[in-house]
Amino acid sequence: MNVAFDFNVAGIEFIVAVLVAGAMFFHLRATVLRQGLWAAANLLVLWLVLPNAASWIALAIFIGSGYVMAQILRTRPSQWLLPSYLVLLIAAFLVLRQYPIFDLVLPHALAQSSTLILGIPIRDGVLQHVVRIMGVSYMLFRQIHVLVDASQGQIERLSLWSYVNYQVSLFTILAGPIQRYQDFDEQWRTLDPVLADPHELLRNCLRLLMGILKIGLIAPLFYKGWDELVVPLAAMHVSGWKYVVEFLVVFYFYPIYLYCNFAGYCDIVIAANRFFGMKLPENFNRPWLARNVIEFWTRWHITLGTWIRDYLFMPMYKPVVERWPTRAQNWAWLFYFLAFFVAGVWHGTTLNFLCYGAWQGMGMSATKLYETWLLKRRGRKGLREYMQSGWVRVVAILANFHFQCISMLIFSQRDVRDAWQLFRGLFSAMTGHTY
Amino acid sequence: MDDIRDRAQDVFRQVFDDPQIVLRDEMTADDISGWDSLTHINLMVATEKRFKVKFATAEISKLKEAGQNVGSFLALLGKKLTRGQ
Repeated sequence: MNVAFDFNVAGIEFIVAVLVAGAMFFHLRATVLRQGLWAAANLLVLWLVLPNAASWIALAIFIGSGYVMAQILRTRPSQWLLPSYLVLLIAAFLVLRQYPIFDLVLPHALAQSSTLILGIPIRDGVLQHVVRIMGVSYMLFRQIHVLVDASQGQIERLSLWSYVNYQVSLFTILAGPIQRYQDFDEQWRTLDPVLADPHELLRNCLRLLMGILKIGLIAPLFYKGWDELVVPLAAMHVSGWKYVVEFLVVFYFYPIYLYCNFAGYCDIVIAANRFFGMKLPENFNRPWLARNVIEFWTRWHITLGTWIRDYLFMPMYKPVVERWPTRAQNWAWLFYFLAFFVAGVWHGTTLNFLCYGAWQGMGMSATKLYETWLLKRRGRKGLREYMQSGWVRVVAILANFHFQCISMLIFSQRDVRDAWQLFRGLFSAMTGHTY
Repeated sequence: MDDIRDRAQDVFRQVFDDPQIVLRDEMTADDISGWDSLTHINLMVATEKRFKVKFATAEISKLKEAGQNVGSFLALLGKKLTRGQ
């Protein structure tokens, strides 16, 4: 997405700003002043990244409508209002993110029209508008969570001031972690400088430094190694064992790059938040030690995995288990597949993300089917012994790691044919035959 | 509370297919074989049916977070029964 300003949390400008503003934060006694400083910083970031007036208007409508709807649902829960609004919300999101699906479902005349909608100039059809909202995907997640929780009576207080800052918080606007509103609001009301303890302050500075090292030093090294080799490989400019070796570099370097980049980003934003009196949920827990795809999503991008479980998987699975408690578990694989397929499509608008989602969904389904088979064959005690076996653990960790490497190879290639070409090249190089 | 614990224990034994389960407050998902995200939902649905209560998505999710245990589950259940939810 093209934005007017490159928002880089590992950049020297951001880090210096966090340290200076964090130091000022300690000396602001009134909560309202601390909130004001935070809100001003949010506004500054929005001013830097929103490229035009149309984007400001679209953002205001996107957030404002969510707030109004959540207030209505809190006081008058309705069975039809929430689903109806969610359909509209997701349609708006698809338009904002310019998903190509509108090429297929909208009449050609509408898709290609040149007009004004709500004052937003639509150039060359619905998909080519000028609205650019950084982080709108995460805003969608947060909004759905607030709406569902509000309709189920789980949000006691909901203020516009707190909700807007929750949605556009400069630390999490780019890529999470996805914090629960209740958790944000509880801390927002006090914003106590939690770093009064020197030991805690030092630990936080170290985490900030670790994040900078991961994102600024280690990740670029692996990215450079991957970037230099991936294009010549896809174009088959090398062959034989040289191809195999370079393929392995590409295969292993991208997941390491992605992990360091994203985990480093999370280290920085979690540490930065602590300077401002806010504790964010953790997003990583040694993901490469996961034994299967289901466990992987409880260790990698944890808050996204939790969101998918709560707001995609559970609404599909729970009604089934309520109605058919004994049979539901046999169909769980289908709901795992659907939930992670949708999550994959959410990652981006191109075919590689659709394939990425399908691959993750298949991994989830296969894991659940295998576990169900093991349970039937060995019983619960036998399954526990199997899972605790040392060699099973090693094989499972390696298998899952390679599954994720394949997944990330698909994820990394904008054109899926390039990913396919890389694998074809590997088989050719290893066997001497052309596929 | 003991009555709630006994009835909840029956639900646990049925969902996890293990008649040996004896509930203690400090028990977590790690102490009960098979207590994953899926069986957690099965457990909550079975509890809803047995006790005629309703859990919200956020409540189900929170009970699966680190730091939560059987004691948290029983406390929430007790609160719901008191409120008549």
